[in-house]
Parts: sequence; C-alpha cells; structure tokens
Amino acid sequence: MFKLILALIGLAATPVLGGLIAGLDRRITARLQSRFGPPILQPFYDVLKLLGKAPMVVNSWQVLCAYIYVVSSALAVFLFFMQGDLLLLFFVMTVGAVFQVVGALSVNSPYSQVGAQRELIQMLAYEPLIILVFVGISMATGSFMISDVYALEKPLLTQMPFLFIALGYALTIKLRKSPFDISACHHAHQEIVRGVLTEYSGPHLALLEIGHWFDVVLILGLCTLFWHTSLTGMLLLLAVTYFIEVLIDNITARMTWQWMLKGALGVGLVLSMFNILWLYVS
Amino acid sequence: MLDTLVFGCVAFPLLAALAVYFVRGEAARRLIVPGAVAVTALSALGMAGSGPIMFAPKSFLGIGLDGLIAFLDFALLFYILYLGTKMRHLLIMGMTVLQIVGLIYLEFFLMDHGATVPGFYVDSLSLTMVLIISFVGGLICVYGLGYMKEHEEHLHLPQTKQPRFFFFVVLFLGAMNGLVLSNNLAWMYFFWEITTLCSFMLIGHDGTDEAKTNATRALWMNMVGGVAFVFALLFLQKGMGTLSVQDILARAVEPEMRTTAVLLPMAMLCLAGFTKSAQLPFQSWLCGAMVAPTPVSALLHSSTMVKAGVYLILRMAPGYAGTALSTGVALFGAFTFIVTSALAAGQSNGKKILAYSTIANLGLIVACAGINTAASVAAAMMLIIFHAISKGLLFLCVGAIEQKIGSRNIEDMRNLFERMPRTAVITVIGIVTMMLPPFGMLIAKWMAIESAAGAMSAMPLLVIMIALGSALTVLFWARWAGIMLGSSRPGFGPMQEEQDITIRLPLVSLVGGALVLSLLAPFVYTGLVEPAIAMYAKASAYGVSIGTIGNTMGAFAVYPLYLLLGAGFYYAWRAARNTPDSAASLPYMGGSQMTQDGVVGFNGPMNQFVPNAAGNYYLEKLFGEAQLTKPGNVVAIVLLILMIGGML
Amino acid sequence: MSLIKDWINKGRLKSPWVVHFDCGSCNGCDIEVLACLTPVFDVERFGIINVGNPKHADVLLVTGTVNHRNKKVLKNIYDQMPDPKAVIAIGACGSSGGVFRECYNVVGGVDQVIPVDVYVPGCPAKPEAIIDGVVTALEVVKAKLGLAEMPKVTVIE
Repeated sequence: MFKLILALIGLAATPVLGGLIAGLDRRITARLQSRFGPPILQPFYDVLKLLGKAPMVVNSWQVLCAYIYVVSSALAVFLFFMQGDLLLLFFVMTVGAVFQVVGALSVNSPYSQVGAQRELIQMLAYEPLIILVFVGISMATGSFMISDVYALEKPLLTQMPFLFIALGYALTIKLRKSPFDISACHHAHQEIVRGVLTEYSGPHLALLEIGHWFDVVLILGLCTLFWHTSLTGMLLLLAVTYFIEVLIDNITARMTWQWMLKGALGVGLVLSMFNILWLYVS
Repeated sequence: MLDTLVFGCVAFPLLAALAVYFVRGEAARRLIVPGAVAVTALSALGMAGSGPIMFAPKSFLGIGLDGLIAFLDFALLFYILYLGTKMRHLLIMGMTVLQIVGLIYLEFFLMDHGATVPGFYVDSLSLTMVLIISFVGGLICVYGLGYMKEHEEHLHLPQTKQPRFFFFVVLFLGAMNGLVLSNNLAWMYFFWEITTLCSFMLIGHDGTDEAKTNATRALWMNMVGGVAFVFALLFLQKGMGTLSVQDILARAVEPEMRTTAVLLPMAMLCLAGFTKSAQLPFQSWLCGAMVAPTPVSALLHSSTMVKAGVYLILRMAPGYAGTALSTGVALFGAFTFIVTSALAAGQSNGKKILAYSTIANLGLIVACAGINTAASVAAAMMLIIFHAISKGLLFLCVGAIEQKIGSRNIEDMRNLFERMPRTAVITVIGIVTMMLPPFGMLIAKWMAIESAAGAMSAMPLLVIMIALGSALTVLFWARWAGIMLGSSRPGFGPMQEEQDITIRLPLVSLVGGALVLSLLAPFVYTGLVEPAIAMYAKASAYGVSIGTIGNTMGAFAVYPLYLLLGAGFYYAWRAARNTPDSAASLPYMGGSQMTQDGVVGFNGPMNQFVPNAAGNYYLEKLFGEAQLTKPGNVVAIVLLILMIGGML
Repeated sequence: MSLIKDWINKGRLKSPWVVHFDCGSCNGCDIEVLACLTPVFDVERFGIINVGNPKHADVLLVTGTVNHRNKKVLKNIYDQMPDPKAVIAIGACGSSGGVFRECYNVVGGVDQVIPVDVYVPGCPAKPEAIIDGVVTALEVVKAKLGLAEMPKVTVIE
C-alpha cells in the first residue's frame, strides 16, 4: 500500500522532473554553444502554449495514438516506481513507441512516412540492447524484478560496465540525440521537417512531448539502477551520463540509419555479448 | 462417454467429410460444414475438465483398430506412391518407398501384436490442441464457405470444386484431432500422413501450375519428415519395445536410457517436427503454400497443421530434457526465429509476411521446447494457444482484404481504413494482439524470454537471438498496422462495410476471442497449461494470484495492466472520436498541399496535381529473401547435422 | 480554470515558435533572420525556436516580395498555422514590395495576401530590429488575447 502511494507520488512528479531535465538539456546545450539559452522552465512554457493552441489534425488516429503514447509511457513509469518486472516495463513502453509510429504512418504525408520508417529502424536498434541489458540484470540478481536489484549489495555497474555502455547507446537513441536522432531531432527541425511529429500540432504535440518526458525519466531511472547502493553515486552517475549525452549531441552530426544499425546495434550487441558471457561464466 | 467424445472429434469429421463430398449443393454444404464443426467443438468441450486419461479403444465398428490403421496406412502410402509416379517425382517416389519398406519391417517383424498399446491419451496438452483445432479450425471452416463461393466466382469456374475442398478440410480436422490425441506413435504417424496428404491436395486445389509445383514441394518435404518418423518408429520399437508415448517418456528419463538408441529416434522425431513446422531449411514449402486459398493458409499453415510439428517436439520434450539434443533443438529454434523474422521484415507480400511470422513463432516454440524448463514449456504452450487464434485471424483478414482489393501486397493496403473500415480495424487489432501487452501473445513472449534467461545451457546465444528476433517482429507488424489505418479526415465516420456473414462472423469471433482470452490468460494458464507442466516437468512454472502470473524470475500483472491500458484506450478513443471537423487539415507539403477527388497530394510542376505516394523501407539488402535464404539454409543444415550427428 | 488559462497565456508569451518563409527574397533578410538564431543574438533566450512546419508555429516570419507564383503557398502556410498566430513581414520587400514593387510578377507586400501584425522595415532588416519585431508581435498577441492594449506604432532607428 505504502509502495502504491509512493509510486503514485513518483508518477505525478515525473512530468515535472522530465520537463526540468529537458530544460536543463537546452540550457547546457546553449552554454556549450557559447550562448545563454532559454530559462530552465522553458519546456513547461512550451507545453502550456501548445495546450492552448487550436487542434489541427489530419485524421483521428493521430489523436488516439498520442493519448495511448502518454498512457503507456506513464504506465511504464508507474511500473518502474512499483519496482515491478523490468521486461514487462519494457513491453509496456513499446506500446507507446509502436503507437507513435502507427499514428505517423496513418497520415499521407511524405515527412511523416519517412520519419515513421526511420523511427521503426531506431526501435530495431535500441530494443535488443535494452532487452539484453535486462537479461544481464537478471543474471546478476537472479530475477527480472527491480525490487531484487535493490536487494543487491554491490552496485550493478561493477558487474555490468559494458552493458551500461550498451544502455548508453539505447539512451542516446531514445533521447533523440545526435548521432542517432534520425527520426525527429529535438533541436534541428529541418531535415525531414519533424519526422514522426510533423503532422501533430497544438494539444496533441503537447501530449507527445509529455510522453517523451515520461520516457526520458524512465530510461534515466534505468541508469540509476546501476548504482543503487548510494544516493550520491546514483546522482553522480546520472549527472555524468546525461552530461556526456548532451556533449555527444553537440559534437556529432546526425548520421544515416545504416550507420546507426552498424554503430549502435552492432557495437552494442558486441558489448552486450561480451558482458553477458562474462556474467555467464562468473 | 469418452469414446463418444473421441469419436466425435476424430471419426465423425471423416463421415461428415464424406457427406460433404457426396451430397452436392451449396445449401447442403452450408448445413453440413457448420454442423460438423459444431459437433467437433462440442466433443472437444466435453473432454475439458477431465484429468489425464488413457483411452485404449480396441475396435471400431467391429474391426480391430490396430490392424485397421495399419491397413489404411499402407493404403495411404501406396496412394502417395501412385501420385508420385504419376508426377514422375523421384524424391517423392523414393521416400514413399522407404516409408513403405520401413513400415512393413515394423508391422511384420518388429511389432509385438500381442501387447496392447493404448491408442489415445487425453491430457492438458492434447486437450489444448483439440480445443484450438476444433474452435479456431471450426471458425475457419465457416469462413471458408463464404470465401470459396467468392473465390470460385472470381475464377469463373464452370463447375464448383467446393465438395473436394471441404472434404479435405473437414477430413483434416478429424486427422489433426487424431494426431494430437494419439498415444500410439504408429497411429500418430498415420494421422500425420493424412495431414500431409490433405495439405498436398489443398495447396494444389486451384490446379494452376504454380499450385501444383508448390503442392509437390510441400509433399516431398513432408515426406522427408515421414521417413524420419518411420526411422524413429523402428528404433523406438527396437530399443524400447513399445510405441506408447507415455511409456517411452516414463522410461526415457532413466539415466541408462540416455543412449544413442533412444536419443537418435528422438532427434528423428524432432526432425519430422521440423519439416512439418517448416523450420529452416524447410521453410520454402510453407511460403510456397501461400498460393492456396486463404482458408487453407489459415487452417493448415498457421493455426493447426504446422502446430502438429511443434506439438510432437513439445510432447517428446521430457524424453530428451537435459541432453545435448535439447540444447541443439533450442539453438535450432532460436536461429529459425531470428532468420525468419528478418525475412518477414523484408517482405511486402502480406501472406508471405504472415507465413514467415508463423515460422518464426514456431521456431520460438521449438526453442522453448528445447530449453526444457518448466517455465519454457509453459511459454511454449501459451504461444501455441495465442498464436493460433491471432494468426488465424490475420490470415482470414488478409483473405477478405485480398478478395476486395485484388492484391495481397501491403503497399496496396494503404488507406484501407477508408475503403474497408471494419476489416481494417479488425486486422489492426489482430496485429496488436500479436505483439503488444496486455495480450496473450506478449504474455507468452515474455515467458519465453524470461525462461530463455533461465536456460541451463547456451543461454547467451539463445537470448541474443530471441531478443533480436523480437525486435524484428515489432518492425514489420507496426509498419503494417500503421499504413492500413491511413485516413485523411478527422472522426471515424460511419464505418460502413458490406461483408458476407460467413466472413464477418469468424472475423469478429476470432478478434473477440483473442481479446477476451487475453484477459482470461490467468485462467487459461491454470486451466490448460499448469496441469500439463505439473505432469511433465514435475515442477511449477508460475503461480497465479489476483490476476498476476509470476514466479521468482518475474511477474506479469495481467488484470491491472489490461484494465489500465483498456481504460486509457477508451479515453483515447473518445477523445479521438470527438475531434471537431474544424480541426481538419491536410498534411504539410511545403504549402503546396491540395486534394483532388478525395486523393491527397500536392501542386506539382506545371501546376499539375501529384498524388502523395510513399513506400516502406524493406531493407532488401539486409533482409531480402535473396540475401538471407541461402546463408540461413546453410547454417540451419549445419545445425541439424550437428544436432543429429551429436547423437551418434 | 482561470488559473490554467493564466498559465497558458504566460506560455504563449514566453514560447513563440517561429516558422520562416521566403517569398522571393534576395536572401538578405533571411540571412539576418538566421543571424538572430545564432549565438551572438540568441533568440532562444526568449523561447523562440525556428520550427520546420507551420503546424508547430505561432509566428510566421515572411521575407521577400510576394509574387503570383508563391502567393498561394503563402496562404496555405498561413492557413496551416493553428490559432493563435501572428504574422511579421520583414524587410522593405515584405512590407510593401520594396524596389521591386512595380514588377510584372510581384504582388507587392505580404499584406496583400495575409493579414500582417508587425512590419519590420529595412533592407536588410537588422537582427536587433527583427528581434524587436518579434517582441512587438508578442504584444500584439497579448492584445488579441485581451490582456493588454494594442502597441502603438514605433519607429526603430
């Protein structure tokens, strides 16, 4: 019961946290680019403004898919705070990702279609990596439950450093950061207009943004599992990982999907295989 | 009581098939086929709830059953030999002769005709299969009535071939039921070969050259399985002295029985299962079988016949648990899973996508059988159940769509929601039940991955293949679902669509069944799966409490997830439905967007209207058939040789 | 309810997303618009992001004289922006057609096609003037929302 209340509080705090992380992202990016950047609360102003716009959609499937995306991402975060099954959490997150693609594919717009195809390839790149990270965690703790991770004595990072790097690849793709931001880049809105997000506007775009915040908090939360033994360690790991993500975003250019499959999936698989074999023999 | 029920499932369909063949006339067919299906389904239901029962019928209408089945077996093999001779197909002729010789040796020299081998065994596993065959198969038969009528109108046939069609389809139902209920391996072999014959006849039903070629290919590949089966029968009779599955399983677990003499026939039975289930390198017969009318594809080549192969592998799994053979089977299944998922991702032909996806899921079931832990066997059974329903539904949908739009290419199914709204929505729901939580297939896949993580050997390789394959399946399913929902106006409209009742009813029943059964997954687990596991693995796989299926490895909260996602979906649906018309807009095309005759496009060069066109990324260089088939087949043959050679 | 409305209004004023359309400009004003987005002038401080399609935008920046070829496109883009929105005509060409006003193919200024809220003259308009223009457009939006009075015409030196 207590766990349920805590989980609900966590769920309510997640959009706020996600927005702040997004604002921090933009601020740090701006400073890295020798400029000032927007206030940290800027994402909240953006979402509020979007909620106040008149709705404009091409078809109603977009609306359906936007809502389902938010619901499933929120549900995945809730499962995370309830310390549930990691694999189940991943599949619930997949519901949102799939529906985002379905919503984009349902529109007869070239940018939307290309964006959706690229999004599908992105999913192909990060899904095996996340599943393998979870399998690695299950080898270290003996189960897929998050509660069992917290019962460990030593942090997961000592046993699974390579899997953490593989998770970093998945994180880069999920956060839509260069060089893997091929379907809907956050910052440069011009390559295929906005890819999967092109035909969304106003309140539905706000919903997708909030859903994205849930996803960001969830994946960063997965990173925190790697150093659960000390709070400072956890925060340090989070800060360093996130800063490296922003840094990589700023120093690399967007690459092609072929490069992504070779670079993220290929390298990630090799790292995961190595780490899983390591855990298997030890 | 039990003998009536078994009669109703196995023998009655034969009588009904004969009736459908000889009593011509459409009205009679529309009566006999649903009637036969209903009797089979009720018999199947009647068997539910009874514990494991060994049933040893001695005679049928006064004739000794052992002798009758042996006689019919020879008759069947000679008939296939005749077919092979007529086609001058050396492979078929050769393999049939091998099987006849082997069977002669078995019947007259090896078999102890005095000993009684119980013919049928009803337990949770066989009951699950019977229920699937009778209900899903039954609905597909009903669908066939409306579909074949339309099909023959399209082909402008001078005289209807439906009696022949329904003869084989209904006969097939009985043969499948017999196969899964059999305890005597010789009987199972007989029913196995009947299904091969039915498949051959039904693939070649349309009589075109393409159909004949593919039917022949299906026949000779299944004959390979038949030869392996006979081989296994000979060795098992010699080595163990009995052909009773339960006896074999009881004794095979003893340490001194873990010899080549026992494991080699097990490997041969697995090989027979691989051919029947179109695993690599035998997948070409299933892909070629897609030329058959859709009810055939749905019934034989997704829901039931191909499940016979994995059923046999799963049934014999306790016999080879913990051996190198088991690891070999697991690796083989996982390899098939990943390669055929990749092949499906490179396809644009709707039926081929479904075919490769079927083979992939069968590979996953084989992998679970090979992993051979309580959890993985649970996963395998859940996969069998939920895959049959969802895949059967998808095949029926594609059939209905193909008849309406004249193409089975998914690129032609763009914007299907505007032309066939109800079918498009049902198909998308079917696709969603195949790959997303909270539905049954996902529960089964979750169980499969968790049990693979707990596999006793070759675990890293298995999980990597299964993880990659799983990601590939999402790719091709999500793509297909999205383009079918293409639409250019807000609101869902009146969703009017005309469809024959015999087609609409099975579609709606199957989709409703998939949705409801997923909600009732905990009951499905405790009712059907758990008893089988308790009997075989003698350990418990999962516990069910307040709608959550879980064990020490993980927990899947079925009810909470279903309710929360369902509530979210309902809320989303209402919001989507209430989108005001003032929100309508065309896609962004750089400011040049326009419509013409309801088609969305843009104002192109010379002020000409250019309709919007798009295509999927099929990544042929990575996932195309030309790229993957040869290497996949080669590696699969190597794995098979290692698997069987490792026994020697 | 009105608290949410206040927040939304605050969001509208603090997050004006801009879409830029070149209606036959010599690109002089476009380069100046681009300069606004770069670190020296850094309009992202005000929450301004340059978005790629009108469906995501609040403010339309139009440069160049409008000609008979692209007036339909301009109208389409304006229509595809959801309310509330504002239009800024940049440069002499956008305001009135500039030196090309008498040309046979020139329509003569953005306000011939769509309603303009703010004119930023100049050839090219300076980045500071453009930023001022956007800020003025926000005040126009504020006035349209009924929160303030319409700003009076100011001449920027």
